[in-house]
Amino acid sequence: MADSFILGLSSGSACLVTCGMVMFPYLMSGSAGVKRIAADITVFMIARLLIYFLLATSAWVFGKAIFTYPVIRIVVPGILYIVFAVMLVWYSISRNRERECPARFATAVNNKKLIPIFLGVVNSLGFCPALFIILTKGATQNTIAQSYMAFLAFFIGSSLWFLPLPLAGKIRKKKIIETVGILATALAGTIFLIKGITILIGGLING
Amino acid sequence: MDNTLIDSMKKSFGKSLLYTLPMFLITFLFLTGGRPDFSNPASGFAFLITFLGVNVLYFLMHFTGKTDRFRAIIFIIFAVSLSFTLIKNMVEIRSSMSFSQADIVECKIPFCHLVIPMMIIPAAFTKSIIFPGSIIGGFANISSMLVLWLIATLVLGRGFCSWGCFYGGWDDGFSRIRKKPLIKKLSDYWKWMPFAVLLMVALTAALTLIPTYCDWICPFKAVTEFEQVTNVESAAKAGVFISLFGGLVVVLPVLTRRRTQCSFLCPLGAINTISNKVTPFTIKIDKKACNECLKCVEVCPLYALTPEGVKSGNVSVFCSKCGKCVDACSKKAIHYGIKGIPAGTMKNFSRNLFLFVSFLFIAVFSSGSIIFTLTGLFKLIF
Amino acid sequence: MKKIKIVAGITWAFICLILIIILFPGLNSFSVSAARLPFMKINPNFTGGEVVQQVATEGCTLDIRRPVFDGLFRDRKRGFVQIDWRGNIPDTITDTIDYNLDKIPDFRIIIDRISSRTSLVPLNAKVKDVAVSTSTSYGWALRVGIQK
Repeated sequence: MADSFILGLSSGSACLVTCGMVMFPYLMSGSAGVKRIAADITVFMIARLLIYFLLATSAWVFGKAIFTYPVIRIVVPGILYIVFAVMLVWYSISRNRERECPARFATAVNNKKLIPIFLGVVNSLGFCPALFIILTKGATQNTIAQSYMAFLAFFIGSSLWFLPLPLAGKIRKKKIIETVGILATALAGTIFLIKGITILIGGLING
Repeated sequence: MDNTLIDSMKKSFGKSLLYTLPMFLITFLFLTGGRPDFSNPASGFAFLITFLGVNVLYFLMHFTGKTDRFRAIIFIIFAVSLSFTLIKNMVEIRSSMSFSQADIVECKIPFCHLVIPMMIIPAAFTKSIIFPGSIIGGFANISSMLVLWLIATLVLGRGFCSWGCFYGGWDDGFSRIRKKPLIKKLSDYWKWMPFAVLLMVALTAALTLIPTYCDWICPFKAVTEFEQVTNVESAAKAGVFISLFGGLVVVLPVLTRRRTQCSFLCPLGAINTISNKVTPFTIKIDKKACNECLKCVEVCPLYALTPEGVKSGNVSVFCSKCGKCVDACSKKAIHYGIKGIPAGTMKNFSRNLFLFVSFLFIAVFSSGSIIFTLTGLFKLIF
Repeated sequence: MKKIKIVAGITWAFICLILIIILFPGLNSFSVSAARLPFMKINPNFTGGEVVQQVATEGCTLDIRRPVFDGLFRDRKRGFVQIDWRGNIPDTITDTIDYNLDKIPDFRIIIDRISSRTSLVPLNAKVKDVAVSTSTSYGWALRVGIQK
């Protein structure tokens, strides 16, 4: 659970920097005060959590069906961790992140009440490398409860960055916090890269 | 060029001797504990060389008006001698640089200040230290190292990184090999990386209750001690720290003439940056004297100076007060200062006070391992 | 205001001077005081937990320590139990251990001290694997992975 939390925490910063600045105007528009914003963000979080619940279930079922042999169960996740970790590091330092944020499609939703739900769904389904890593982890868990716990830890880690969103305008030195967050994402990617290599080599040696 | 300005930090021979006298007396007292013992010729000779050496360096700082080159001498020798001390100790006891499972089980690992960032959250929640060392007694016990670091960082701020850290001398030394940098432009965006490293190691250490920086990252395991390589995981760890030592401590400092390990990795540097807000000592820019030649920006080893900062008369919190910019400035516009005192005023007073405080710290802190190393060398030779 | 800032700055600088001067002579007493702080003890994940039972056999003492599941906020699902052998230890250690003191044996251990080969026979489903088995300055230390 610890690595899932850390993955969520570190990738959430990159997510906030890209999607947060798209989502924020929609969350703020037409609202009157902190209570309304807090309500919007709560709906947004619930939508994210439900989607993660579904993803955890799907990943585990898929993993049970595909990762039947012990060797495949070790080697394939190892390779996937390495690929997605490299993607995560690239994602964190790439300048094209903002164009990839799915929240930009929020303009397609006419009903303002549905926007937080829509944003929650698209944010959690935004297939960023961190999500691929957590999907791989969910697929390799022994029980579905473990898959749920991994996604829950990921959700909690990533959600922490969204909580101060209503106060975004008031936070000074935003740029520094964003920079540190992006670098932390790259580090998390490096951690999973090394984890993937270790799993792969260990799996190959042990046959 | 106005020679009065350039030579204003220099003192006459007599005055320099006078300024060195308190350092001479205090270091003698501290290093001998008031009871000098020259019964062992090798250690007696080693003590004399060390004692005279540090005081000559301090004298030269006053006599020449230059700081960085003399600071670097003791800083680099400290780093090398500490590694020699640790390695000799380990090889004598274990015949190896690697520590074993038994050393961890018996909590015999020497403590170093780099563990501190990882200790804070677990100490708050579990009321315990997540490090297999000894609390009190023995070499590098946790209690003494904590006290030393806390007081040094309160007094010096990030100056600890240039006047106290016994690892910094490695990349400081390698950064001085070339006369000119081969890589002139390395983005200072990466100077925020230590904060990201601090965040990650603090979190991972708290969640796993293992000092993850020491376990996986610390490049200085290459020159001190490391875990025995017995499986894939320990081999991966060895790969990581050797690569980081090679890249950030040796190659990049040689190519850039900057202290890249300290600037781009060290999480303790990130914490010391915060304590720079507490220390009274600082580096100031006298905008009236500054001609914005940006020589200081070029020489700063820790990316503490930027062209925008110099133009606005600001030195960032990344400054470790090494003195390189002060020595490089032909107009003496950048100088040691004390918070509260306006830039351009009381320069000599500020420098003298800072030098006494910082040099005393490094002289006493480093002398133990320098004497030990010299004693070992003399015994080998004679 | 300017003068107050200057006086304050210089005062703090001189306090720092005094701090550095007293630091080294006072280091021993400061360290002893610091060692008394509530958090100044090594985490049981490294020390192995407190000794809960000692068994003396033929010049050799067996220390059974409490199982360690200590986590950051609460106990973890997986932990370990440490067993120490001290004194006159035989070349081959063969012991049956009841780590939870319920008078039911939990695992059997066979250690060949010469080759460092360790064999674990779990007698309880919660006993998983050997985490550490090593010679120490006092004898031998064993850590067995267990589940809560």
